[in-house]
Amino acid sequence: MNIEWYIVLSSLLFATGAVGIVIRRSPMVILLCLELMLNAGNLALVAFSREVGNQQGQVFALVVMVIAACEVVVGLGLIVAIFRRKLSLDVDDLSRLRG
Amino acid sequence: MNFHEPHIEYAGISPIIALTVGFVVVLLTAVFKPVRRTAPALTFLTLATTAGLLIWQWGESKELITGALQLDDLAISISLIAILTAAACVLLSVRETASEEAGSGEYHALLIGSVLGMVLLTQASNLVTFFVALETLSIPLYILCATDLRREGSLESGLKYLIVGSLGSATLLYGMAFLYGGTGSTDFAGIATGIAHNGMLGDPLILVGIAMCAVGLAFKTSIAPFHQWTPDVYQGAPTPITSFMAVATKAAAFAVFLRFFDVALGPQVDQWAPALAVLAALSIVVGNVGALGQDSLKRMLGYSGVAQAGYMMGGVVVATEKGTSSLIFYLAAYAFMNLAAFAVIIARERETPYGDSYRAIQGLGAEKPWLAWPLTISMLALAGLPATAGFIGKLYLIEALVEGDYTWLAVFIAVGTMISLAYYLRVVAAMWMRPAGETAAGATPAIAGASSEADPIDTEAGGRIYLLAPAVLAAAATVFFGIIPQPLVDFAAHAGASLF
Repeated sequence: MNIEWYIVLSSLLFATGAVGIVIRRSPMVILLCLELMLNAGNLALVAFSREVGNQQGQVFALVVMVIAACEVVVGLGLIVAIFRRKLSLDVDDLSRLRG
Repeated sequence: MNFHEPHIEYAGISPIIALTVGFVVVLLTAVFKPVRRTAPALTFLTLATTAGLLIWQWGESKELITGALQLDDLAISISLIAILTAAACVLLSVRETASEEAGSGEYHALLIGSVLGMVLLTQASNLVTFFVALETLSIPLYILCATDLRREGSLESGLKYLIVGSLGSATLLYGMAFLYGGTGSTDFAGIATGIAHNGMLGDPLILVGIAMCAVGLAFKTSIAPFHQWTPDVYQGAPTPITSFMAVATKAAAFAVFLRFFDVALGPQVDQWAPALAVLAALSIVVGNVGALGQDSLKRMLGYSGVAQAGYMMGGVVVATEKGTSSLIFYLAAYAFMNLAAFAVIIARERETPYGDSYRAIQGLGAEKPWLAWPLTISMLALAGLPATAGFIGKLYLIEALVEGDYTWLAVFIAVGTMISLAYYLRVVAAMWMRPAGETAAGATPAIAGASSEADPIDTEAGGRIYLLAPAVLAAAATVFFGIIPQPLVDFAAHAGASLF
């Protein structure tokens, strides 16, 4: 199989995540979409690592997994804090600050 | 079989070790000894030790941890700017509701964690360290933005910053993956050779990679059109954190911008520089126009930060030693100017029920000249008036741009400066030309940024040494380096020379 397939799949994942962040309104789903984008990066890294023939990409992907977990922990913590304040869990309603 | 112990350059990584130890100690003291004063004192100690170690390493240029980090004067100078800002942030956080609400130990530990990320980021010379450092910097900041737990705006700004920041990181990561695929290396030096081998335009992978990395970094430095989060997050976050974010994050992100683009992508400067120059020009326009109609001082400074990031971008675009030096000079000047402004805004937030709106500073000139002067100096310096560090900084940037054949961008900086006078002088006018009394007539104190559970008012806040000292010192430094710029110029020139 060619590397192109991996790149196409990863760019589809990345695009799905990016579109999801823009159109979905629930912070939970947005967090999932962020994960999708990071994992698209991971897939690309691992695929390129096989192609290039060194292990740097694979190590990078492992590191990214740890960081993605940290991000989700913080994101979920914030969502819980917002939920406890009985604020609406819809990013469109979170508009006290308007640009 | 023989065991070869790895060579570890302990002297070079000592600042990182000091910050890590400080982080753990501050967090643990919060568990064992919940005394309010310990955490800030220990944080100060950590920051002072790190600054001392960094100054001790001044002039060195060496690779650490098998080339993952590069300790040189560029890294040291920008780390020092970040540490100075963090120290000011500790002072400004004294008696801030956010640090008491979230727990003093946690608050300060997270602050140290973020500084650790910044110090790492300034030294990063490998894609992996680059990404890890960027996240070590950002994740504590997401939490710090939300530490004012009772205030809706703070939680909202934390979540917004998390979503937008992570979007930026994910884009950056995807770009890095493509760069790695195109060049076969995660080292900055390896990428440079890989690009030289293939040619940047010849390889779509590299081109896509560079574009996405630039977008990801633009999110972090709040370069337009990736700046939308900046005013919202600046306004919602606790003000001491805003001041830290505004200066230190920008400094660290620009450090890696310089190293990544000028070292890893240096040979192909003709291809990426025009794109970045367009982003810089766009930022200058968007930031300055956006700041015009704001009613909140923090939002205004947010938009002004977008414009200032555009000016600073000029130093990256030219990719010369002069550009780098002028950028570092500007970052140092920007730290002083912003700290003075934020210290006064914090004092007024605690003194008046008006939060960070313009109303909070009306008549300040007559009422409290000690607070009015630092803010006046800061505004004039941000606008780039002569006899301030801001003027010298802009002068160097413009000089570097003209020498680097980017005269049109220098013109943008000049025009942006003219527009910016309108909103900077509005602050000065509100302070000196409006009487304070006119606001009292039945006005509702509910304005953006403040919430219904407003913090208790401390009418003497402006006289307290932990607020007054940063404001006056930062303003004094702004004027001092405006009149006698030589020490700061030497500092910046030295740092700039280490990259080329």
